[in-house]
Amino acid sequence: MYGNIWIGILILFPMAGAIISYLLGRKNKLLRDIFADMIVIAEMVLMVCLWVAFGSGSLKADWLTIPDICGMGLSFTLDGFRVIYGSVASLMWMMATLFSKEYFNHHHNRNRYYLFLLLTLGATMGVFLSADLFTTFIFFEMMSFTSYVWVAQEEKKDALRAAGTYLAIAVIGGLVMLMGLFLLYHELGTLQMSDLKSYGMAGNPHSLMEYIAGGCLLFGFAAKAGAFPLHIWLPKAHPVAPAPASALLSGILTKAGMFGILIVSCSFFYQDTNWGTLILLIGVATMVVGAVLALFSIDLKRTLACSSVSQIGFILIGVGMHGLLGADNTAAAHGAFLHMVNHSLFKLVLFMAAGVVFMNLHQLNLNEIRGFGRKKPMLNFIFLMGSLGIGCIPLWSGYVSKTLLHESIVEYTNLLGKQEIVPSLLSIFDMKIIERIFLLSGGMTVAYMLKLYVVLFVEKNRNAKVQEQFDAQKGHYMKPVSAVALLIPALLFPILGIGASSLMNRIADMANSFLCTSSPREAVAYYSIEDLKGSLISIGIGVILYFVVVRLCLMRKTQNGTEYVNCWPRFMDLEDYFYRPVLLVIFPAILGFCSRIFDAFIDTIVVCLRKTLYRDSKLPYELDEGNALTHTAGILANCLQHLLNIILHRSEKKNVDYEHLFALKYSKIRENSTLISRSMSFGLVLFCGGLILTLVYLILW
Amino acid sequence: MPEYMLFIVILLPMLTGVVFPILPIKKRSYRLLFLEILVVLNSVFVWMLLLNRPESGFTLAHFTGDLTITFKMDGMSMVFAGLVSALWPLATLYSFEYMTKEKRENMFFMFYTVSYGVTLGIALAGNLLTMYFFYELLTLVTVPLVMHTMTREAILASRKYLYYSIGGAAFGFIGMIFMIIYGTTLDFALGGVLDLVKIGDRTNILLLVYVMAFLGFGVKAAICPFSSWLPQAGVAPTPVTALLHAVAVVKAGAFAILRLTYYCYGTDFLRGSWAQYVTMAIAMFTIVYGCSRAVKETHLKRRLAYSTISNLSYIIFGATIMTPLGMVGALSHMVFHAVMKICSFFCAGAIMHQTEKHYVHELDGLGKQMPMIFGIFTVSSLALMGVPGLAGFISKWNLAYAAIESGNPLAFGGVGCLLISALLTAIYMLTIVVRGFFVKSKVTEANEKQDYHDPNWMMLLPLGIFAAAIVLFGLFSTPLVNFLTDVASGLY
Repeated sequence: MYGNIWIGILILFPMAGAIISYLLGRKNKLLRDIFADMIVIAEMVLMVCLWVAFGSGSLKADWLTIPDICGMGLSFTLDGFRVIYGSVASLMWMMATLFSKEYFNHHHNRNRYYLFLLLTLGATMGVFLSADLFTTFIFFEMMSFTSYVWVAQEEKKDALRAAGTYLAIAVIGGLVMLMGLFLLYHELGTLQMSDLKSYGMAGNPHSLMEYIAGGCLLFGFAAKAGAFPLHIWLPKAHPVAPAPASALLSGILTKAGMFGILIVSCSFFYQDTNWGTLILLIGVATMVVGAVLALFSIDLKRTLACSSVSQIGFILIGVGMHGLLGADNTAAAHGAFLHMVNHSLFKLVLFMAAGVVFMNLHQLNLNEIRGFGRKKPMLNFIFLMGSLGIGCIPLWSGYVSKTLLHESIVEYTNLLGKQEIVPSLLSIFDMKIIERIFLLSGGMTVAYMLKLYVVLFVEKNRNAKVQEQFDAQKGHYMKPVSAVALLIPALLFPILGIGASSLMNRIADMANSFLCTSSPREAVAYYSIEDLKGSLISIGIGVILYFVVVRLCLMRKTQNGTEYVNCWPRFMDLEDYFYRPVLLVIFPAILGFCSRIFDAFIDTIVVCLRKTLYRDSKLPYELDEGNALTHTAGILANCLQHLLNIILHRSEKKNVDYEHLFALKYSKIRENSTLISRSMSFGLVLFCGGLILTLVYLILW
Repeated sequence: MPEYMLFIVILLPMLTGVVFPILPIKKRSYRLLFLEILVVLNSVFVWMLLLNRPESGFTLAHFTGDLTITFKMDGMSMVFAGLVSALWPLATLYSFEYMTKEKRENMFFMFYTVSYGVTLGIALAGNLLTMYFFYELLTLVTVPLVMHTMTREAILASRKYLYYSIGGAAFGFIGMIFMIIYGTTLDFALGGVLDLVKIGDRTNILLLVYVMAFLGFGVKAAICPFSSWLPQAGVAPTPVTALLHAVAVVKAGAFAILRLTYYCYGTDFLRGSWAQYVTMAIAMFTIVYGCSRAVKETHLKRRLAYSTISNLSYIIFGATIMTPLGMVGALSHMVFHAVMKICSFFCAGAIMHQTEKHYVHELDGLGKQMPMIFGIFTVSSLALMGVPGLAGFISKWNLAYAAIESGNPLAFGGVGCLLISALLTAIYMLTIVVRGFFVKSKVTEANEKQDYHDPNWMMLLPLGIFAAAIVLFGLFSTPLVNFLTDVASGLY
């Protein structure tokens, strides 16, 4: 082990704490809860200390290598990006764990939940701190397996099904990623990220094998990040997982996938326009699919999950533009990074708020939770902060990141128009369409967040009695610890939004070396007219979409008012109608058929041989009476007799059994001949006959 | 150490086995203690031999010409003998507890211990004739073990096993005859012993004979299409299936193929020829075939038997890559898979011993009542899948690395087969784990009414040791892989 041991402690400490808390939990539950809280708080403190040390340059070493373990050895490092993301991860875990205590008050299997919660924290830190792709892969797989238990926690039928989907995608993604790692290792001879970066920045054109390797790695990481078409696990897994776990799944685990995509795209495929175009198109598809699904959904957590898919699409657009823009890609890189950070925190707040709702009502259907938030100012404020942030309203943090992303698209379109940049497969017309889609998706984001806000906090429940119950819960629905856990991140959004230039720019600059970009030449004016115009167009589209699509199409009038309906056609479920039939029905049928042929192959040969070459020879046919001659003669005579019976039409049919007759005659003959041949007189006769023949021979010759 | 020790370690278990039924000790626990002590003693001797390797071989008997029965310990012998002797005492300990519920255990232990000696004979064989002799002997000695329960299925299964094995050994015999004629010597030497001058331009015949010998020895190594004896042999008691059919017998088959390829024919002669493509294709097909059948199989032990078929072909695939790296991959998977599979089989056996349930769909919710067993089963499942951090990942990485480094286009397809097989392994192993821990169904309620618990220390101790070994190999595999690389480059 060489280097800074504190990096290793960041990873091992939660894992050791997980095991200790499991053992503690078997004895005393309260002690375990407090212990778990302390572990995550200690992790956060450690991370902050490392940040401070890193920032002031007083870190002993910013790397850690453990050779010869797990085959190829593990290596970790610490740079600006990792420091920030490590802190974000620890912060999110801290808030989620503090909230878990109240959320799980009456649940079973809490011990198991805490064990795997802390194990995943260790694994995630391992992913973010890794310095070569082998280490990333090891901790990535570990993270996938330990987070499986989160999704399966409730142990209900739909939870297990969603968990099965999650695990299948994670395992398949992991295996394809492994293939990519093999190919990459074969091509380059190394998997260290610094070597990948120097190779990428040297500017050599990439061979087909490198594209295939990169594609496999992209598949694996995108499966975890939730990009189209591998996003199918997100909308199913989030509603069934407990709310704090959903927050972490959506906020951090998807970003672990993004981490991998960033490494492959930003350092290895640096300034590769083909790759950038690919990522851009995937991003656009993800963004639109997520937003549409979210708009149509009528389950609170499902809407938030689809919203995550959509936001991942936004981040992927930023990554794609990073590749396309060439040397001037700061806006894209910073936009993607800041949107990652922002989105993690948004989803933390929103999912935990959804958790508060579920904790009190045990329902997530929009029709059931209507009006829950009325007269609850704390929840209102928290949810409002989250919604305004994710909707990218000016003065909130989301606006900053989305503006940067929008600017990168506009800048690329301008550079294409002035022909100052290497063109890729996309023309100016395509880019303009992409920009329109970008604004439309921004609008859809506003629309569905507005829908959720209105359902929770503005409308009244159809059933007046239920509404009274909701109102009566004022002040009792959330313990102070949970309220603090939700409030602190929520307050960050306006703070970061208002102090945009100083705070967010500085945060983004810390990640420059990781993202292979540099500080912008001129300061970005976030509140210029063009940027504000783009944001207001999005907001306008959103409001129009809300009133037109949501209120008119997605709601239906019933007796006591309106209700929300699920208009999404059933057959458009990618998982149930495409992936599952192909993978679980068609493939096994084909493989099973081929396997059965081969299985029966040798046995068929053996059976054929036994019936032909190795046939058992017949036992000698033993007749009851007589010998073969009498048998055949008797049968012939019987047949003749039968024929004569038919031909001559005798009145009384002769039915003598000639076989038996002949056999009797034969046995009589045999008996007699035995008697004769054994008698003395026969011997004497033969003796005389012999004498006579000898005499004849002597006399005549 | 003196060379005759090579013969002693083979003879001692055989004598112990033969003497065991007529031993004058009455009390069962003392008899078993005697057996265990002798098995452990033999393993200690083998490891002492490993560490103080005798330089030359030990000739037991001379037949005509230069045909001899010789024992010698070279690199591959060290690996196989070390593996077998490390696992046998633990398996014997496990079977003590298991056989309390079966009859005629004297016969069982007799043949079980004699098989130990015979397997060591295969491992320590110094030339092809000796290996062939002990190979046939292994078939004969293990047939009574398969037939042990004397039910109709057991008799049919043992008959099939006998037919397949003897038939396969016959083809191996053809290979041996050609080696006598066209080889400079019958001894094993890394790089092959073929006399190329004598062969002249008859290479195609030699390659055909190689493929025939490969298929012949491959019957024991359960390659498709000769693998159907292995799932049917699952009717044998679990210690037999686990040790013999997951470790000793099938690994002897893979060992024989490795000897044939690297030490008799030599990879320089075989690499790039049509024989390599044919054998590699067979291995790749078997990998996917074994896993596919395992997914559809609902009987627990038969599912693990199909998994064995698939994993053995990993080893054979590594052998057919025909480079030193391929040999390293094959040997590392031989060692790691033996530990992982014996762990899985023993867990399955413990479940069947405690609950009398044989089918996967009857195991819902048992994880809560038997946490240790299911926990260890989870570890071995994750290892078989190739999850990093556990032993299976190391060997899979080595195999895939060797395949890609070789540059053979078919080998790239082989890497794809490895990954597909890992996915299918995940499906059929994790289903059992998830059902055990997470599923609540009618079966779970029925199970909860019964009083199932973890077995006693005699079964749990070997399982715990295996699980710890899997984790340790996963984390600290470098010394072992370095040793295997030395073996593959001919240092021993």
